[in-house]
Amino acid sequence: MSAVENTSATTIGTVALSPDAVLRLPPQCTIRDASQLLGQLMLRLEHSAPVYIDAAKVERIDTAALQLLVAFLRDRKARRRAVVWLECSEAMMRAAGALGLTGALALTPAG
Amino acid sequence: MGIDLAQFHEAFFEESFEALESMEGSLLKLDVSAPDSEIINTVFRVAHSIKGGAGMFNFSDIGSFTHTLETLLDGVRGGRTRLTTPVMDLLLRSVDVLRELLRGAQRKETFDPQRVADLQFELEVIAVAQDTAVQQPAQPAAASPAPAPATSAAAAAPAPAATPPTAVPVALEAPPSEWLISVRPLENMLSRGNEPLALFAALAEHGELAVTADVRELPPLEAIDAHRCYVQWQLRMTSAVTQERIAEAFEWVEGDCDYRITHAAGPPVSTAAAAPAEAAPPAPVPSAVEPPPAAPAAPSPGGDPQSASRAAGRAEGTPAANSGDSSSIRVSTQKIDELINTVGEVVITQSMLAQLGALAEGTSAERLRSGLAQLERNVRELHESVMRVRMLPIGFAFSRFPRLVRDVAQRLGKQIELKLIGEQTELDKTVLERIGDPLVHLVRNSIDHGIEMPEARVAAGKPAAGTVHLEAFHRGSAIIIEVSDDGQGLDSDRILAKARSRGLIGAGETPSQEAIYELIFLPGFSTAEQTTDLSGRGVGMDVVRRNIKSLGGKIDIRSQRGQGSRFTISLPLTLAIVDGQSVCVGDETYIVPLVSIVESLQIKAGGVNRLSMAGEVVSFRGAYLPLLRLHELFGIEPRSRAIHDGLVVVVEGDGQRVGLFVDDLRGQQQVVIKSLETNYGQVQGVSGATILGDGSVALILDVAGLIRSTSSRREAA
Repeated sequence: MSAVENTSATTIGTVALSPDAVLRLPPQCTIRDASQLLGQLMLRLEHSAPVYIDAAKVERIDTAALQLLVAFLRDRKARRRAVVWLECSEAMMRAAGALGLTGALALTPAG
Repeated sequence: MGIDLAQFHEAFFEESFEALESMEGSLLKLDVSAPDSEIINTVFRVAHSIKGGAGMFNFSDIGSFTHTLETLLDGVRGGRTRLTTPVMDLLLRSVDVLRELLRGAQRKETFDPQRVADLQFELEVIAVAQDTAVQQPAQPAAASPAPAPATSAAAAAPAPAATPPTAVPVALEAPPSEWLISVRPLENMLSRGNEPLALFAALAEHGELAVTADVRELPPLEAIDAHRCYVQWQLRMTSAVTQERIAEAFEWVEGDCDYRITHAAGPPVSTAAAAPAEAAPPAPVPSAVEPPPAAPAAPSPGGDPQSASRAAGRAEGTPAANSGDSSSIRVSTQKIDELINTVGEVVITQSMLAQLGALAEGTSAERLRSGLAQLERNVRELHESVMRVRMLPIGFAFSRFPRLVRDVAQRLGKQIELKLIGEQTELDKTVLERIGDPLVHLVRNSIDHGIEMPEARVAAGKPAAGTVHLEAFHRGSAIIIEVSDDGQGLDSDRILAKARSRGLIGAGETPSQEAIYELIFLPGFSTAEQTTDLSGRGVGMDVVRRNIKSLGGKIDIRSQRGQGSRFTISLPLTLAIVDGQSVCVGDETYIVPLVSIVESLQIKAGGVNRLSMAGEVVSFRGAYLPLLRLHELFGIEPRSRAIHDGLVVVVEGDGQRVGLFVDDLRGQQQVVIKSLETNYGQVQGVSGATILGDGSVALILDVAGLIRSTSSRREAA
C-alpha cells in the first residue's frame, strides 16, 4: 500500500491542482510506510508552487509519520515555500495534539 | 521498506510468557497473612506491562483482561482489597487464563471466551468490592481493609476490625501534585514498535497531561532516517499518583528512551539518563537527589515506615534498568542453531586438517602440527562457548512446580513441601524443553502415590507435611536431576504380585529389587487401586522413560519402604555433540558414544562360548556377556572373524551390557551429530551420523537400541 495517494486532481476554489501538488495521506499513516512518505515529501520539497496536504482520510497516524511532516513543513518554510493543509481528520488532530506537535505542524486546534 | 509491527509479536509473547512465569512464582511466594509489598508490586508491574504491550499490538481481549486484573491488583497493593486465599486462587487462575489468551493470540486462535468472561466477572466483583470499600474516608484509616460486600464470595472474608495496617502494602497515593517528565527517545524506540503516543496515553491515565514537543534535533528532511525518533518531549502532569507509578508507564519502553521525572516543586526523583532533556525545563531543577517534600509514598500513620523507603529506593533503581545498557540480548534459537552448525563444520574441517598435518613431512611440518594443535584447542573452546549459548538454567523447567504441587496437594488434601535445589544448573535448551513433561509425571506420582495423607504420616511418626525434593546438578558431562520424596516408598510386594498376576514374572522367579522397580516402566503397568485424573492409568512411567531415552539419558529408581523414593535422571548436557570412540569394522568406521563404553578388551582364542538361548557370549569379570558382531549386524566383510584378531568393546545401555566385536579401535574425538532421520531415515541401532576429518561419513551407534534389538532377535530365535 502506498503511503501517499495522489492519483486524482483536486480543486480548490476555481483552481485545479496537479496531482503532484497534493499529498493525500492514507488512512493508515504509520512507521510501516514511513520511508515511502519520506520519498513523497522529498519529491515535493523543492516544488515552487504550494504543496497541499490532505489528511482527511487519516484514521491512524504515528510519531514517525508526524515528525516527517514537521520536518517537511519546517524545510519548506526555510525555502520560503508554502504548505497548505486541505483537511485534517479527527484522528490526525488527536495524534498531533497528544504529541504536542500541533504548533510545529501549523495546525489549528479547530482543524 | 516499511516496518511490520507483527515482527515484534513474537518478542512480546516471549516476554509476556516469561513475565507470567515470574508473576506466578511471585504469587506463590506471597504469604496471605502478611503479604510482602515488594512482591505485590512485582505482580502488578507484570500485569501492567502485558497490558501495555497488548494495547500496543491491538490484542484487545488480553488488554481488557489485564486491565481488570490490574485494577484488582492495584486494590491489593493500595490496601483496598485484602489478600485472602480465595483472592490468591483467583489471581492464579487469572495467570492461567492470561497464558491461554496469549497462546491463543500467538496461534491466531480465540481462547474460550466464556472462561475469560467468567473469570473477568469474578475479578470485577472483587474490584467493585474494593471500590465500595474505598467509599470510606480517604484517610489513612481507609487503608485498613474494609468489610467486603456479601456479593463477592471471593472477597467475603472481611478483615477483622483489629487487623493492623502493617499487612497493608505500600504506595498509598498522595494528594494531587505536579510532575515534570522529560522524555528523550533513543535511536530504536520507534523501530522496536514503542510508540510515544501509547506511552503518553498510559501516562494520561494517571492525570492531566500537558505535552510540549522539542523538535530542534529533527534533521533536514534529506538527512532523516524515517524510522528513528528525533522529537523529545517535556510533559507536565497533575496527578495524585506516586512517581513510582509514573515510572511504571516507562517499563514497556525500557531501554528505548531516557526519561526524567521531576516533582514540579522539588528535586528530580526518578531519572533514566545522565543527560537531562534538551528542552528548556519549565521549572528549576535542583541538583540534589532526594525525595520531594510531598513524598508520595509517605508511610501512613501506623503503617510500615520501611515500605516508603523501599518504594523510593526501587524507583531510583529503575534508571539502571532503563539505561539501555542491557547485559543480555534476545536471539532466536534458529540463529544459534545455525551458528552451532557452522561451528560443527569448523570442527570437521579442523579434524581434516589434523589428519593432513599428521602426514606432513619436511622442515615446517613440526610447526604446522603445533599450529594445528593450537587450532584444535581454539576450536574446542569456540565450540564449548557456542554450546554454552544454548544452555539455560533448569530453573525454567522447575518454575512450574510450586504451582503444580500446590494445586495437586490441595486436590488430594495432602500437605506437601517442595524443595528446589540447583535451579541454576544449566543444560541444553532442547533437553530442557523435553524434560519438563517427564518431571511433571514424576512429581505428580510422588505426590499421588508417594506422600501419604497427613494422618497416616503422623501415625507413622513422620511430620504431617511430606517433602518432595527436586534437585539438579552436574556430574561429568551429564546433568543429574533427582526427584525424591519422604513418602511410603515403592511397595515391591505389590508390584511383584501385580506382575505375577499379569504373567510378567513366573511364580517361581524372585527378581532383584532393582528388577522389580524396573517393572513400573512397563506400558500399562500400574498398582494404583483407583485411577485418578492424576495417575494410576499406567500411562506415564513408560512414557517418562521413553522421553528420557530419546534424549540419550537414563532413569534409575531407589526406594525404601516407609522412607521414600528417589528417581534419578541422567541426561547428556547437549544433543549436538558427542564424545565418541571411533571403531573400524572392515572398511567402515563407527562411532561408539564414550558414555556407553565400559571398557575394551582383547579376547583370547577360544574365549567365546555359544549358549543355546543367548547366542555367543564372552566371559567378562566373572559373568557372561552377549557378544554382538557388528559386521554381522551391518552386513560388512570384516578384516577377520577370529575373536583374537579383533577387539571387544564392552558397552552398557538400559542397564544391560553387551560386547561389541570390532576389527580395531581408532581415536577418540568429539563428533558433531547429524540427524540421519532428517537426511535419510531411521536405522535400527544407529542414532545419527557424523562427518569425519577425512570427509567420510561414520554412523553413530545407538547402544541401547542395539541391545534391545539383540535381545528381541534372541528371543525370537
